[in-house]
Amino acid sequence: MKMTKIYEGSHQWIMFGRDENKPSNIIDSNQYAVRTANKCLLMDPGGSELFAPMMAAILHHAPVEQITDLFASHQDPDVISSLGLWDQALSNAKLHAPALWEGFIRHYLGCESIEYVPIPDNGGTIKLENIELQLIPAHYLHSSANFHVYDPQAKILMSGDVGSALEPAGTPMFVENFDSHIEKMRYFHQRWMPSNHAKRAWIERVRNLDIDILAPQHGRIFKGDDVKHFLDWFDALQVGVAV
Amino acid sequence: MNIQTKSQFVAVASITSELSAVMVVAKEISLAAANAKAIAFRAGDKAKGFQPITDFINELAKETIELVTSINVYALSLYQLTVNEYRKTIAYNKFELIAELSKDAAHAHSMEEPLEKAKLTMENCQRQFKRDVKQLLDQLEAVMHHARAARVIAANSRIEASQAGEYLQSLQAVAESVDKAAHTIHDNVQRCRIALSLYRNN
Repeated sequence: MKMTKIYEGSHQWIMFGRDENKPSNIIDSNQYAVRTANKCLLMDPGGSELFAPMMAAILHHAPVEQITDLFASHQDPDVISSLGLWDQALSNAKLHAPALWEGFIRHYLGCESIEYVPIPDNGGTIKLENIELQLIPAHYLHSSANFHVYDPQAKILMSGDVGSALEPAGTPMFVENFDSHIEKMRYFHQRWMPSNHAKRAWIERVRNLDIDILAPQHGRIFKGDDVKHFLDWFDALQVGVAV
Repeated sequence: MNIQTKSQFVAVASITSELSAVMVVAKEISLAAANAKAIAFRAGDKAKGFQPITDFINELAKETIELVTSINVYALSLYQLTVNEYRKTIAYNKFELIAELSKDAAHAHSMEEPLEKAKLTMENCQRQFKRDVKQLLDQLEAVMHHARAARVIAANSRIEASQAGEYLQSLQAVAESVDKAAHTIHDNVQRCRIALSLYRNN
């Protein structure tokens, strides 16, 4: 599992992904951690297959007992099917996940010791020591109850499936040439994102945020001007093409 | 999921299926008892010896139904225990892998406690599974005992039926159906016992 520090200030953002030992028939996913002095938040911690390499990688940054918060942007298995395993490893943790999905996510057998903190439709915050992360509604992108995480201090938006691209193993961590990256993400967004209306609402909301890094759950991270390039491109894209 | 775990799931799940067939048969015995009681009543003195047997058949069927109902509840809890044991074993194996993968990590030692805890929990589950299997086998033995008793009653019924004159055929049919039902119960429960006994000492 590769680890890349994408922000270092009063706290850190670490991206985990490109696991070389991942079974080839499951898609690659990016996991993110926010590390403060005594706490650690894992965002979209991944599927069951990724649990062991993911935990082993985190232990380079934080001890188990300081993993206090998990966040699931939505209910998909590549996002949170590892919950049952985290539940047995963590003794004092909360899972922040959409309220709408609570009864479904509990099917992953993971809330015996972990506390499920339901996120209402209008969003909320996660407080991690002295930093406060905002939970930005991203409903229907692609899941009916979906949230992204915005860190106003680091100016990072963890954007779940928005901005994702399904690429072969070993893909670079950052978008290097936006124009050539477009074709890698076009079909993903057209097919997975169901609603132009939801897309416009999200873009309107996100354009008001000061973002340096847009960090999706699959594929490469956007930084600097490429964040704006992505928003413009996504704004113009027709989605929900399967019907 | 390995072969051992798969067959453990199948064994536990098959008990519920076998027992539901036993339940159907026990209800048939109960019906046969009611039928026999009516015939014996009509036969009057000719079936005097048969009358107390019908009550006994009915009682036996009732007890079997009660026993199977309670075993079914127990079998369900054994299934949940199997799921739990599977879950704990997976976690323990993953935690071991983490210990291996994180040898050079700064906080590798922090996994020691969860690993030890997972091991203990898994072993507790395995011990409890064995204890519960033994208890379930004892309960199944009680059903077998009922099936054996039903066969003895069926034999006695045949003797009493032979003295019932024109009611002979009807009462013999009752005896036959009790005997057949007892056989079915015996065979089904025996299959449960064979499936489970593999896990008593594993």
